[in-house]
Amino acid sequence: MKKFESFIAAILADKKKKFLVLLLTLIAFGASIMMLPTKTVLARMLPGKSANTYSVYVDTPVGSSINETEKVTQCIVEHLKKESEITDMEIYLGMGSPLDYAGLVKGSAFKRNEHEAEIVVNLTDKHGRSEASFEMIQRIRPAIKQECEAIKEGTVIKLIEQPAGPPTLASVVIELYSNDTEGLRSLSVKLAKILKETDGLVDVDVMQDETYKTYQLIPNQEKIIKSGLSLTQVNQILYLAFEGMDVAIKNSANSPDQIPLFVTLSKQTKSIHQMDKTALRNKLSSLKLMNQKGMMVPITEVVTIQEAPSNPMIMTKNLRQFVNIIAETDMVSQVYPLLDAREQIKEQLSNEYDIESTKLFNYRLTDKKTGAVYDLVWDGEMKVTMDTFADLGAAFIAALILIFLLLVIYYKSFVLSGIVLLGSFLSIVGVIVGHWIVDQFTVHTFFLTATSLIGFIALMGISSRNSLLLIDFTKSLMLAKGMEKQRAIAIATATRAKPIFLTAAAIILASTLLAADPIFGGLGVALIFGTIAAVIVSLVFIPVLMDNSDLEKHFQFEEHPYLLLPIL
Amino acid sequence: MSQKKAYIPKDSAGKLAGAFLHNPLTMLLGIFLLLLGYISLVITPREEDPQMEVSGGAIVVAMPGATPREIENVIIKPLERRIREIKGVEHIYGIASENVGIVNVQYYIGEDREDSNLKLYDKVMQNMDLLPKTAMQPLVKPFDIDIDVPIISVAFYTKDKNALSQTDLFKKVRDIQYELNRIENVAKTEIAGAKKEQYNIMVDLNKLTGYHLSLGQIAKAIESLAVNVPNVKGRTKDGQLVVFGIKNAIENINDVKNVIVAQYMGSAIYLKDVATVEKGYDFQNKSKAQITFRGENGEFISTEDQLTLTIAKLKGTNAVFIAEDVTDRLEEMRDSLDAAGIGYIITRNYGERANEAVNELVFHLMISIVIIAVLLIFVLGWKESMIVTFTVPAILAITLFIAYMTGQTINRITLFAFLLSLGLLVDAAIIVIENIHRHLHDHDAVDKELDDIMIEATDEIGAPTNIATIAIIMTMVPMAFVGQMMGQFMKPIPANVPVALFASLVIAYIFTPFLARKLLKKPHFHHHHHHFQKDKKHTDDRSGEQQ
Repeated sequence: MKKFESFIAAILADKKKKFLVLLLTLIAFGASIMMLPTKTVLARMLPGKSANTYSVYVDTPVGSSINETEKVTQCIVEHLKKESEITDMEIYLGMGSPLDYAGLVKGSAFKRNEHEAEIVVNLTDKHGRSEASFEMIQRIRPAIKQECEAIKEGTVIKLIEQPAGPPTLASVVIELYSNDTEGLRSLSVKLAKILKETDGLVDVDVMQDETYKTYQLIPNQEKIIKSGLSLTQVNQILYLAFEGMDVAIKNSANSPDQIPLFVTLSKQTKSIHQMDKTALRNKLSSLKLMNQKGMMVPITEVVTIQEAPSNPMIMTKNLRQFVNIIAETDMVSQVYPLLDAREQIKEQLSNEYDIESTKLFNYRLTDKKTGAVYDLVWDGEMKVTMDTFADLGAAFIAALILIFLLLVIYYKSFVLSGIVLLGSFLSIVGVIVGHWIVDQFTVHTFFLTATSLIGFIALMGISSRNSLLLIDFTKSLMLAKGMEKQRAIAIATATRAKPIFLTAAAIILASTLLAADPIFGGLGVALIFGTIAAVIVSLVFIPVLMDNSDLEKHFQFEEHPYLLLPIL
Repeated sequence: MSQKKAYIPKDSAGKLAGAFLHNPLTMLLGIFLLLLGYISLVITPREEDPQMEVSGGAIVVAMPGATPREIENVIIKPLERRIREIKGVEHIYGIASENVGIVNVQYYIGEDREDSNLKLYDKVMQNMDLLPKTAMQPLVKPFDIDIDVPIISVAFYTKDKNALSQTDLFKKVRDIQYELNRIENVAKTEIAGAKKEQYNIMVDLNKLTGYHLSLGQIAKAIESLAVNVPNVKGRTKDGQLVVFGIKNAIENINDVKNVIVAQYMGSAIYLKDVATVEKGYDFQNKSKAQITFRGENGEFISTEDQLTLTIAKLKGTNAVFIAEDVTDRLEEMRDSLDAAGIGYIITRNYGERANEAVNELVFHLMISIVIIAVLLIFVLGWKESMIVTFTVPAILAITLFIAYMTGQTINRITLFAFLLSLGLLVDAAIIVIENIHRHLHDHDAVDKELDDIMIEATDEIGAPTNIATIAIIMTMVPMAFVGQMMGQFMKPIPANVPVALFASLVIAYIFTPFLARKLLKKPHFHHHHHHFQKDKKHTDDRSGEQQ
């Protein structure tokens, strides 16, 4: 204790040493802050979480049949069967798997088309497995995509991890708004291509229907009426023949449902020889309708067949037409690939579009030829991250102000309150450096996450308490004993070092288990290293600041300070 | 300070300490608190992730035969405009595809769910007249995470395909579903991949041409026969009732086969002449569910058809209990299912996961408490360490009980809030015990009553401890105002940490002096120093100057 006391006294006595402390603190602060823009410490909202399950979403192009989709799922399942850690797989064709948190926002519940399928993959328990689920996904993704996406051109296979926190549509989402439907389609393809080329982005998908060839039967009104038929009849028979219909229902005592009587053409007679107009005409010509006079009229007599593109679905958000382009990240934070992709968009599309930056990372693109305007908005995990970090930042500032006000009431001095606040702010050095240190020792990138920020905010209170105890004690030494300033500070620092160490040790020990958790690791690391920083700051930096300020002036009130605060 | 007069506390800390120091109920209160904590730990619903108040819904309007453009113009746009009028709506998504328009409405996170659903339904109903004539009745489907996300899913499959058809499997699973629905707090149950029974009448187009028939005739013929008519009542002359009914012409597959569809050259044409008729499943529904799992030899079996039964729970109920009930019930049925040739695999069990996560964290919490206790033994002495260690479960008990009363659940985040606050909780008790210790070993302690020392020591550090704790609480409070999903997700932190901190103050002021009085004694001042006294000495000299 004595040693520490003289150490502090020596620093306080020497102006150069005091300056050195301030300078070192400034350097440490600057250097740690610089770790963020230089990407030494990477930020992400929440890290990956190892789970006992993951999903595979399969999207064959719109207009694909269930059989084509099944071929793709079969390929994936065969591939996954080689994995020793998989216990079972459930394949849901033409529907979504039972809803989970990821599926909730990714639109699982709305899947009911033949081109959509989901596979649920269950793994052995994560405690007995050396490979985390997200590592496995990363390992198998390239092979599966290469092998199985080739089966049907335009197929997109997505491997979906269980989200560690709140689910989002995808890690990276581009919302592209415009009133120009055709332009939207072509620009979205270009953007998807850029995303595909970006490092760290995988499973890129444009959420719009592909157009495919359809045939339209155009009824000839005149002929229909002349042949004694009706349009409804034509429609109904066509539907009955190729899709089929329940024409009657039979109730049954020992069946859970009513039993429908379903009529359609037999498989052999229904199938169309090949996909072209003539084949369709041939098939339809053998389908005959009976008119009011009991005569049989071939359906081809009253309709003409025309080729036409399919009508893709139209999506709007907040009353504006838009298209989503989504991508997942491959075990990296979404922030950095997004910035890369943003850079590339500007570079590659500048010839065709005038690009101007709007709010945050967003762009406004104007087609140089047509003048059509497109708004590009980044959404998904990025938006949630930005919103959360902004909200946490605001919470942090609010905490800062609240503590400041509390201290001003307590000390009746802005300077002293300022010292405490500055001291507690410096714990950020420990938070950032701590993440860097832990990152050096872990296999995967250790991200600065939202939970790290929560830890930092909590630290504010903890480190302000250290400074508070220190100032409080110095004050009582000076007021009651009339001790000279530097000596009072040195003695106060040395005596208060013990409880400060003790409470810091309690926090550090309590946080070690927290640090091992995948999600709350950031919080644990922030608390451990932040507390260490806070201890150093309050024992070395705060005394220097106190010495530099006019303590006598700030302590000039005679009343018992405790009485000023009727707490509780 | 050396006056014999009893010490009069200035701060609430001292007042609390004084009030409970001699109260015989203090011990009871302590035991009661611990018991309360244990009960809360057992009965509070457990979940893996915290409940999120996410409101929204989908409006589905079908309009057969309409193109996406038409749907957009006559359904999506008017609906979007109307929904825009509702307060609290964050995003409106419109999806116009062939034959159907869907409007997804997303409220701001934290909007009251019941209210939001009602507002949405109300808005749609008010504007029914805006919908086009050919459109069908709109369907309003509110999102409900608690009800929509199943906590358990079970895949049923047939062990022998030939013995049990898919439709029979569906019937059996239907019965199981009904049975599981009886379990308390089970909400929505659903069966995915169901193959429903149906008579398939597959008409041969060539034969149709041969008999000179149209498809419409066949449909009509079947339709007209499969009618159910209520019984007819006739009366006799004496007023007695004679009840007679017409038997449904179609009772089994043969009845369907023998439907006469037309007369041709004087002889009847039966349905079986022009079509193959079979009792099958609804093959027009293309969706299907399959499963593959490791067989007895550890190799994957080839993919088989399956049925998935999903079970969701009511909001605020214990996922662990429901999942256990369901698995127990299924286990009871296993033999009879075996006999029927049905196997099952539980493909999702959130209850088990929640329980594991919670137990693991409770275990971590225990370890952390032990570690801190050991640290304190070395620094403060074992009696002091025990006193501080007792306060931790008491504080957590109060926090847990308040969490239970306010309708929260025990989940990952709640427990992290506890772990986070653990380092901060012990501080108040440490500060109090340290001050008591110092006062006990003060030189004028001999002249004072033990009770007075306790109260005074507690009272003395009251104000700075209050300030420090309030400072920490203040850092937590703004976190409650973080918006979006993330704000909802981590809500347990600002909801529980301040409570725990406040509880830590009260517990420290009430129980630390109380227990210290029971356990600690005044040291004998015959140069017989406590081992702790030695390194305290230096501090003590100066601490005396503080007053």
